[in-house]
Amino acid sequence: MTRCRQLHLEWLEHRGRTCLRVRGWAESEWHGFGVMASALDRRLSILPSDVLESGVDFRTVPTLAGELIMEHASVCFVPRFPFMDGTSYTLLVYPDGRSEGPEAWAIRRPLPPSAPHTEALAIYPTAAALPVNLLRIYVHFSGPMSEGWAGRAVRACCEDTREVLEEAFLPPDPELWDPERRRLTMLLDPGRIKRGLAPNREVGYPLVEGATVKVIVDTEFRDASDQPLKSAVKRSYRIGPALRSRVCPEHWRLKAPKIGSLGQLKIQFDRPMDHALLQRGLTVCDADGVPVPGLGAPGASEESWLFTPDSPWGEGRYRLLVEPRLEDVAGNSLLRVFDRDVTKDEPPPLRGRRVRLDFSCASTP
Amino acid sequence: MVEYGTAIHVEDFGLEVGTPTVRSVGPLTFGPEGILFVADNVGAVIFAIDVGDSNNGRPQSVDMTNFDTSLASYLGCSRDDLAIRDMAVHPRSGNVYFSVIRGSGDAALPVIIRVSGGGAISDVPLENVAFSQTVITDAADKDDPRLVTREKLRTVTVTDMSYVDGLLLVAGTSNEEFSSTLRRIPFPFNGDVDSNSLEIFHVSHGKYESEAPIRAFVPYQGNASILASYTCTPVVQFSIAEFEPGKKVMGKTVAELGAHNRPLDLVSYEHGGWEYLLVCNDRHPLFKIACKDIDVQGPLTVPDDSLDESPADPVTPGVGVPRQLLPHAGVKRMASLNGSGVLMMQQDEDGNIHLHSYSVESL
Repeated sequence: MTRCRQLHLEWLEHRGRTCLRVRGWAESEWHGFGVMASALDRRLSILPSDVLESGVDFRTVPTLAGELIMEHASVCFVPRFPFMDGTSYTLLVYPDGRSEGPEAWAIRRPLPPSAPHTEALAIYPTAAALPVNLLRIYVHFSGPMSEGWAGRAVRACCEDTREVLEEAFLPPDPELWDPERRRLTMLLDPGRIKRGLAPNREVGYPLVEGATVKVIVDTEFRDASDQPLKSAVKRSYRIGPALRSRVCPEHWRLKAPKIGSLGQLKIQFDRPMDHALLQRGLTVCDADGVPVPGLGAPGASEESWLFTPDSPWGEGRYRLLVEPRLEDVAGNSLLRVFDRDVTKDEPPPLRGRRVRLDFSCASTP
Repeated sequence: MVEYGTAIHVEDFGLEVGTPTVRSVGPLTFGPEGILFVADNVGAVIFAIDVGDSNNGRPQSVDMTNFDTSLASYLGCSRDDLAIRDMAVHPRSGNVYFSVIRGSGDAALPVIIRVSGGGAISDVPLENVAFSQTVITDAADKDDPRLVTREKLRTVTVTDMSYVDGLLLVAGTSNEEFSSTLRRIPFPFNGDVDSNSLEIFHVSHGKYESEAPIRAFVPYQGNASILASYTCTPVVQFSIAEFEPGKKVMGKTVAELGAHNRPLDLVSYEHGGWEYLLVCNDRHPLFKIACKDIDVQGPLTVPDDSLDESPADPVTPGVGVPRQLLPHAGVKRMASLNGSGVLMMQQDEDGNIHLHSYSVESL
């Protein structure tokens, strides 16, 4: 009468792994396990409890990958893959021969105690006004994040009507992260941005020209330890006309610092540029082409770039080198317009070479 | 129980026995002698792994209902904790391989799963296996002259791979530039990646030229051509003969998929002496294209008004290559069963994932 006995399930560290130990076997069934090596596998199986509740016939699914071991009057299950925190597992004990239904004993892996501690630090662009053909946004987090949440936790809506802009973002599959999983790139649906393509003709731009659009990152976004964010983050943009022209460094204004100073070099753009590409799209060199050590960073609204040298500026000429793949917020680069109209007199894509702008620092009065 | 052992002379392909540092698993494709290429988008690495599948038996069809539930049970998690990234069929044994991530964040566990013709699930050990690897480098950083230290923020996420005549073709998406780059990586790996990258453009209706990342692609016509699908929805044909490094490659747009409909996967097969391609999408039904129709199809030069009139149901396109809709619902991934048919991973309306094999006669 094995069903009268009480089995005890517990977690146990065994050979550096968390195992499941089952004690409390009746003497008769314990001896039954030992008669044949395969008896244990026939009599016992372990499944995630979800599987038993899914409606799928549990007799048709494989048991958890791992090994059952008899040890000191108990049975230990050593999993091939670690048990998952917060997941419930069920041990099925079949009567000899599996002629009757099994007994079920469940145990849940505990969740480690924790509290939300990760924040969304910023949403880029930061410009208040953006073109309707905005191509992408970036979300920066204070710690590593989990994949699988971007499609659910990032949304855009009209600020006035609070109406969510359905499918404004390209479904993030795959999600685009930096190596540390701290910066997420979200693309607005490029098929809706490109002129002439069916999605653009059918449903129009992802954003609404003339509206104020709010981008929201919800707290449900999970960090790498599966915790939600501390708080939601929002940023609003006024949406203006489409921006469709090649990025032309000739249209930028350079404000040079004074010779002998550690003043900032300021490059004022004619449009908001892509925040990420600004991080490495501009280089300051001396007259010999040697990079000047210092720190460059996007200015307000990504409409400027500021460079502070490590050593004072000298008297000679300097060069600003511009990477040809530098893009504005609408994906136009030095090389090409994002979607070029080949029937109009728009210049064809260029082959990529860095563009050079020369400047000298001002003399001290 | 099927025994798996070393099937190839690994040294011929530069593989060495060891334990690869696999941080993630994504797109899969088989190369010569059953070597499995696995893209690791977290580690920015592509591995070539001898999966030790020496079974030369006839490919068997695989049919499993509720495959995701079986997989969740095997891996000890709930279905919600599973992400099935890709699927590939071993060219000789017919066993099916999946790249799967169990869990997320710090607890994410990358696994290569093998399903035999009988439906038995096992995993490919990633310890003490014969492997080689190549890093997916970022071409634009190679000659970056700057001295200032920059955060390593830039990545390339591999979206699809195919092996063609000694080259591994790799499509990827940058997390910064919106470009269309097809990397050509010689195999055995020798570190030569960047010099073989191609920039690819497509033209919509003879009017708008643009770049976009390739989402999925499939070689056909004996590897003379490629049919690619883009994140911005066109289906585009390229001739591999035009793939010369440094050359601007123009594709021929042969079909559009319509709004809110992303291309997911493509597969080719032959039947009755003709070659066909299947394209699955996340909204619209699976459709079939005869390769001979692509050959005679000129590039799309006018918009397909039938999509405007009936955007939810582009049954018969007004322009573009003729497409035949097939009834197979919820197809997420496809793989050729080595010429005999097509394996499809299908998701039903309740979110359950099933595997079904279809003979070429039935398609």
